[in-house]
Formats: sequence, C-alpha cells, structure tokens
Amino acid sequence: MITTSNLSKKYNENEVLNIEALEIPKGQSFGLVGNNGAGKTTYFSLLLDLIQPTTGAIINNDILVNESEDWKPFTSAFIDESFLIGYLTAEEYFYFIGELRGQNKADVDALVAQFSNFFHGEILGQKKYLRDLSKGNQKKAGIVAALIGNPEVVILDEPFANLDPTTQIRLKEIIKNLAKAKGVTVLISSHDLMHVTEVCERIVVLEKGEVVKDLATSEATLKELEAHFAG
Amino acid sequence: MIRLFLNLEWKQFTRASYFQKGVAIKIMLIFAAIYFGGAAIMIGVGLFFISKKIMPNMDPITVINNFLIYWYVLELAVRFFLQQLPVMNIKPFMVVPIKREAIIHYLLGKTTISFFNFIPFFIFLPFSIVLLVQGYSFIHVICWFLSVMAFSLCINFTNFLINKNNTFFYSITSVLFLFIGLEVYNVFKISEPIGLAFNALYDQPYLIVLPFLLLFALYKKNFSDIRKGFYLDGAISKKADKVDSLELNWMNRFGSLAIFLKNDVRLILRNARPKQVLMMSGLFLFYGLIFYTQDAYKDMPAFLAFASMFVTGGFLMTFGQLVPSWDSEYYKLLMSQNIPYKKYLESKWYLMVVAVSVSFILSTPYLYFGWDIFGMIGAGALFNIGLNSFITLFGGALNRVPVELNVKAKAFSNTNGFNPTQMLIAIPKLVLPMLLFYIPYKIVNFQVGLLVLALSGVLGIVFRNFFLNKIETIYQKGKYKTVAAFAEKK
Repeated sequence: MITTSNLSKKYNENEVLNIEALEIPKGQSFGLVGNNGAGKTTYFSLLLDLIQPTTGAIINNDILVNESEDWKPFTSAFIDESFLIGYLTAEEYFYFIGELRGQNKADVDALVAQFSNFFHGEILGQKKYLRDLSKGNQKKAGIVAALIGNPEVVILDEPFANLDPTTQIRLKEIIKNLAKAKGVTVLISSHDLMHVTEVCERIVVLEKGEVVKDLATSEATLKELEAHFAG
Repeated sequence: MIRLFLNLEWKQFTRASYFQKGVAIKIMLIFAAIYFGGAAIMIGVGLFFISKKIMPNMDPITVINNFLIYWYVLELAVRFFLQQLPVMNIKPFMVVPIKREAIIHYLLGKTTISFFNFIPFFIFLPFSIVLLVQGYSFIHVICWFLSVMAFSLCINFTNFLINKNNTFFYSITSVLFLFIGLEVYNVFKISEPIGLAFNALYDQPYLIVLPFLLLFALYKKNFSDIRKGFYLDGAISKKADKVDSLELNWMNRFGSLAIFLKNDVRLILRNARPKQVLMMSGLFLFYGLIFYTQDAYKDMPAFLAFASMFVTGGFLMTFGQLVPSWDSEYYKLLMSQNIPYKKYLESKWYLMVVAVSVSFILSTPYLYFGWDIFGMIGAGALFNIGLNSFITLFGGALNRVPVELNVKAKAFSNTNGFNPTQMLIAIPKLVLPMLLFYIPYKIVNFQVGLLVLALSGVLGIVFRNFFLNKIETIYQKGKYKTVAAFAEKK
C-alpha cells in the first residue's frame, strides 16, 4: 500500500529523516516509535505532502505523493490541533470534513453515532466551539473526523497523548477494529510503548531519522522496546 | 521587583516577532511612529492658530474645551477596538512568590505608557506650550494640561472596564450619535455644558483634584476587578459562551462553493479579528465624505475616482489581502484534504462580490452629491468586483503571514499579517482606478472615463477563470512555503 524509497529530508545540512526502504502492506496497523526529534512527525508530514522530500519519494497506493494529489480522497490524518477548525462546533466540523470527502449529512451522522461511546458525551451537542474544548476532547473530535469518508489509509500522530484512560482503551479498540475488520491501513506514532505494542501488528523504531528496528509484534516486543529505550 | 518586570518587558519588546521581521518593516514602523508623532505635534501647535482663524471672536482655549468631549469619545472608541488589557501575561506569575498586588499595580501601570496615551500627550503638550508662549497664565495652563491628561488616563482605564462588554460600547456610541445629531441640527448643544465644565477646569486650577479623583477611583475599580479575577478561571481565561450551530442551509444553492462559503461566514462571525475587519470596512463607506464635501477635489476627478473605489472596496481590501492567512490556523488540514484551490478562491471571490454589492447599496445616500458622484461609485464598484478583487487575491497569495483569528489586532504591537509585498501590491489597487478613469477623461470626457472604469471591471468578470487559474498556480507553487510559514509559532 505505502512504499517508501530512498526518502530523506534535510534542513540545511541537518538530516532529520533518512529511510532507505519501508513497505507497509494494506490493512496493516503500523506503529512508529522514537524519542523526540526521531523523525516521526516528519515522516507523517511527508506522507501528507506537507513538506517536500530532499530525495526519494513515497508511493501511496500507486500514487506518487509529492506529484499527484490523487492520494487525498482515500487518505486521512489527524496530526495536531492545526487539523481542527477552531471556530466550528464539533458537528459543523464533521459535516465540513464529510462534505469534502463526498459524504452527506446522514452518512456523517451514521458514522459519528458509532463513536458515541468514545465521545463519552463530551463532543456532540456541546454548544461549544472546538477551540473551547479541552485538549483531550479536541483530540477525540480530530480522530473521529479522520475516520469520515471510509479512508483506506489513516494517519494518527500521538493519538493517545492527552486522552483519559477510558478513552485510551476505547481508542485502542477502534484502531484494532479498523485494521482487522475493515482492512484499513493505520499508521500511528506514540511515546507510549505499551499502547503501541497492544495495538500495532508491526512496530518500527526511528532514531535520528533512521529505522533502527522493524519488529513484528509478539509477546517479547514490549520487553525488547523497553530494553532499547532504556539503553 | 520592578527591575525584574522591566527586564522581562524589555526582552518581550526586543524579541517580539515584529522586531524580528525584516528591516523594511522596522523602517516603516519607525516612519509611521514619526509620522503620527509629528502629525500630533503639528496639530497641537496648529490648534491654537487654526481656532483663532476660524473663530476669531472666541478664546482658543474655550473652543478647544468645547470640543474636548468629542475627542474623548473618539478616543474611547478607538481604544475600545484596538487596545486590550494585557491579561494573558500574568499567567506565569501566578505561582511565583510575588505579591499579587505588585503584579496588578505593575500591569495597570504599564498600560499608562501605551501608544494611545502618547497621542493626546503629543497634541496637548505643544498646545499648552503655545498657550504659555501666547502669555496665558502659567498655573492655569499647567493645571489644565494635567487635567486633560488625567482624563485621557481615565479613558484608558474606562476602556478596560467596558472592553469585555459590547453593550456598553454600543450604548455609548448611540448616545454619541444622538448628541452629534442634536448638535448638528441645533436642537441641543451638549458641547456647551461640557465645554463650560472644561472651561471651569481651566479657570479654577484647584479643580484639578476632580479628574485626579476620578482617575484614582477608576484605577481602584480596575484594581479590585483584576484582584477578584486573579485566578485561572477568572479574568484571564476567556469565557466560552454557549453557541448554536449555524446551519446556513440556504447557502447550498451555491453548489460546490457552498461548503466554503458557509465556513467563511462562520469565520467572520465567530472570530475577533475578522469581526474587527468587518467593522473597519464599514468605516470605508464614509470615506467619500472626506472627498466629496471638499471643493478642493471638485476639479480633481482622478482623486474622486480613487475615493469612489474606496467607498465600496473596504471589505474587499481589508479582508481580501489576508485571504490564505485567514485559514492559516488549520492550513495543514486544508492541504491534506481533497480541496480544489479554485473553488476555495472562488468562494472568497463571491464573498467579496457580496460585500461590494452590499456596500454599493448602502452608498445610495451619496446620491445627495449628484449622479456624477454616484456613477463614479458604481463604476468603482464594478472595478472592485472585476479587477481589484483579483489583484487583492493575488497579493494575498504572496502573503504568508499567519493570522491569529480570535485575537484582536493591536495598533503597533501587532504586524500580524502585514508585509512589504502587501505595500507593493497596494500600489496598482490605488493607482489603477485613477488611471483607468483619468486617461479617457482627459482625452474624451467624464462619461467615457466612467465607462472605461466600469468596463475594466466587466472585463475582469468575463476573464474570471483566467485570473483564478493564474492565482491558483501561485498557490500550488507556494504550497510548501505557505504550510511552513503558517506553522511558525509567534
């Protein structure tokens, strides 16, 4: 589904990302871990064509990401608050995204209704603008918005940060379900090793922009990751 | 303690984003400061002589005293829009061992050295000096000057009290307009009793205690208000009002544009900065009054054409010049969604067209100045719709300064969304209508001048797609730069 080859990103002489080859098959739940500055967000930004690669390219479902925009209809993301429109209410925001992704109001309502458990009554019907919601609630709205319109690739940067424990558990269910039941390719990054090993079939460790570990998740993975980062 | 605060203040000043912008902006800011300062001093010096000339029978100090009330109301209005109590800055001090009183005194004291207090200072100080030179009594003039400054500071603190509440402001302005109306039609002159009061201040220097008492009271009120709200959930956190969603379903008739149009309407209605722009653009409607009422411009139709363009172009220019910047807070989202730039631009264009049309309808009272003037406004409106809109959108595409939507722009402390490109692009906006009108006017006659100006706009509408495509390519080329620039934190 997503093929990365010879990808690098330099700011002046400072190389922040260098991935020789990385292949993410369709329907995989893929986890990216690494310390601050490892290049996780840079990689996601390149995937979304928000920054230009210095060398190499990413091919998303046969589409060269930095040359064509045709990856947009089947790819969605929630990276940070700049993916929210602060002056809209959550409903208005969902409808806006829905309309951009060719969904009518009924479609959006039906989808959003599935997440009432996840929202915990704090998102819909709040009569508040998104900018006035707490960080955690903003994140909930952003994550669900990224699921509107049946995307085939979903990219979530640090989805567990700022969420309360209940929501974290529910989010894990949602992510697992996306990959298993619907064949969606899910890419997440996280600082929380426990969450990421629980949710992802495959975990890649980035360090100073390079892939240093590529693991198929098993019983031993969490131990291995902890040993790596302790070290 | 104070030294520590001042040190922080100095760092905030020298490290502020506007100081780190280009040299060009620094120079322009300095020029602007010199210009406004110089203009204020000139007015201050000239006030005495102008008043002597216009009303030779009256003592200039009496004349000034009569009009002081309007000055203060205007000052209040300007401050209301542009000056805010710098509340957010106290957050980091809440948990450090400094007395809260000290912080509040400092905060309030700091506001007294704002730009808005310098303007009256620069006007009334030279005026007072002129009075002294002209042989007015020293003690009277000094006390009067101090009183006037005290009132200015009273306005300063009044503003902070009413700033949070719009109803206060609107009631004050409506009362003001009422009194101006009564004054103009000679029904009741409010300036007389208030003028008498100010004259009394001048005649009896000991009355100086009154403005200072008022100032003291207002200061205390501000102090206790802030003291009470000195908690995270108090004054410094913004209140989140209950809001209703805006369906705007009637806009669906605009088809694929509707989605963007709806968002733009919400953008304007729900954020402080665009609201401010909307109000400012209302003021442009009155721009014509400056030109049409003056005989000096009667024989300079090029200037009239320029003014006519301004009457309907306020919103277009103030909103349009920041077109991608308005969406800077969530630009990454837009860029990762399946959004056709052209539709996005077209929606903004429609918004401008609506604004120009509404302004044009609102400008019908200008018929009072005759059909020639109104024709000019009409031609100017067409020019705005057809050409100016695209020039403005083009300028906006080159402008990559992020805008904080829900923060009011502050005079001279915020060059948010302002850069030299903006200045360059402003030149054709201003000169083009003048040329389009003036050349055919000189060669043929007035009517042909109007016709050419109007036709230029029609031409622009006809070639709309061409212009939109051109601007679209600029957007595409600058995509990465724009994303990076908008992501920059201030």
